[in-house]
Amino acid sequence: MDKAEKEAIRDVLAGNRDAYRVLMDRHFSTVTRIAFRITGNEADAEEAAQEAFLRAYNKLPSFRQDSAFSTWITRIAMNTAINLVERRSRDLSYQGPRIADEPSPTDHTVRVADNQPNPEGALLTREAASLRQTAMAQLTPMERTAFTLRHMEEIPMVEIATALNVTTNSAKQAVFRAVSKLRQSLMPIAGGIR
Amino acid sequence: MKHFSEEELIAYQLRECSDEAAISGHLERCSECADLSESIAETLRIFSPEPVPQPDLDRSWQRLRGNLTVLTPQRPGVFEFLRKPWVWPALGVATAAPVLLAVFGLQTRHAQPPKPNYAINGHGPLTTEPVDPGLANHLDSAERLLTEVNNSPGPLDDVTRQQAHDLLLKNASYVQSARDNGDLAGAAVLEHFGRVLTTIDNEPQTPHSTWRVRLEMNTNGLLLDIRILQQNDDHAQGVTQ
Repeated sequence: MDKAEKEAIRDVLAGNRDAYRVLMDRHFSTVTRIAFRITGNEADAEEAAQEAFLRAYNKLPSFRQDSAFSTWITRIAMNTAINLVERRSRDLSYQGPRIADEPSPTDHTVRVADNQPNPEGALLTREAASLRQTAMAQLTPMERTAFTLRHMEEIPMVEIATALNVTTNSAKQAVFRAVSKLRQSLMPIAGGIR
Repeated sequence: MKHFSEEELIAYQLRECSDEAAISGHLERCSECADLSESIAETLRIFSPEPVPQPDLDRSWQRLRGNLTVLTPQRPGVFEFLRKPWVWPALGVATAAPVLLAVFGLQTRHAQPPKPNYAINGHGPLTTEPVDPGLANHLDSAERLLTEVNNSPGPLDDVTRQQAHDLLLKNASYVQSARDNGDLAGAAVLEHFGRVLTTIDNEPQTPHSTWRVRLEMNTNGLLLDIRILQQNDDHAQGVTQ
């Protein structure tokens, strides 16, 4: 941990809460990105990231500075995001935004931003996004988390296992199950996938 | 020819396998495994990282700042004074003084401290608040079972379910003991554990039943509570021994 972060933590602990902004400036983007991989949507990712920073702030007096703040906050963020996903899946009334051709506030559907030069391209992009989202929805929170962190964020298995509070082997198995499920989900519709 | 499993090929594609060269060599000879491996690689390509929207840092900070309490500096720890430079010489003198007194034959009388409540013919120090040694074993069993519930990928096996069944009656008696001793917090945790045991013992096992128990009964939180009870119990045992 570098000097600026140590000083910021010392100032926060001395009663200067604005010093926490230094830590947020440095790590909020990374934490939000990881939360986004786990939750799968922007609103939940920001909520999880903010909650993680709030938790870290409240636990700061007990933070042992022999490990990096980035490692610590990332671990808290992973747990917070997983808890949020689990809460969402328990709350049957919650409807996350889904992708549709016509956005509708009542159906909680949104339209994906269109970056394609032609309508066919836009349609394909939307369909691909929708298929990916449907396939990811088949995964359990643990499988989704382990898979996205390993494959998309390239976080080592050991760190993922620590964050998930499971053995490294269990984390690996969760990733393998996730890939297998995703492959099965895409099998009937993707021509190139056997 | 021995084929590789899907799991081994996934590990290969994710660079998590131990014998990469063997799989690589096999894929050159076996079209069946090569097809499966390519299918896995294609899946991974489809789920390659997408750009993540950038968060609005200022807005997040403003929202967060309103929830931050002003932290006060921690009180110095009990042993913090040991870091001061004058403490060690002073401790040396303080330690040597009684030894010197003993050498020169000086004896002082001290008031006898009050004796603990020993039984007349007992072998050890008994207290008026005995601690049940079986509780530690019960909490250990609870911890093991909950760890299994929290980490099991599928339905629980018969051995674990039998353990849950065996623990039910014991747990009920420990709930009662905790209540009788006025330990309402401990009783509440054990009651929670009892509900988990009843669910495992009675509900039919389905592919998602363990996952449901974990979510609905917050077994992760319960495991933490059980560990706190274990620490409290260890402390109580230490006090009486």
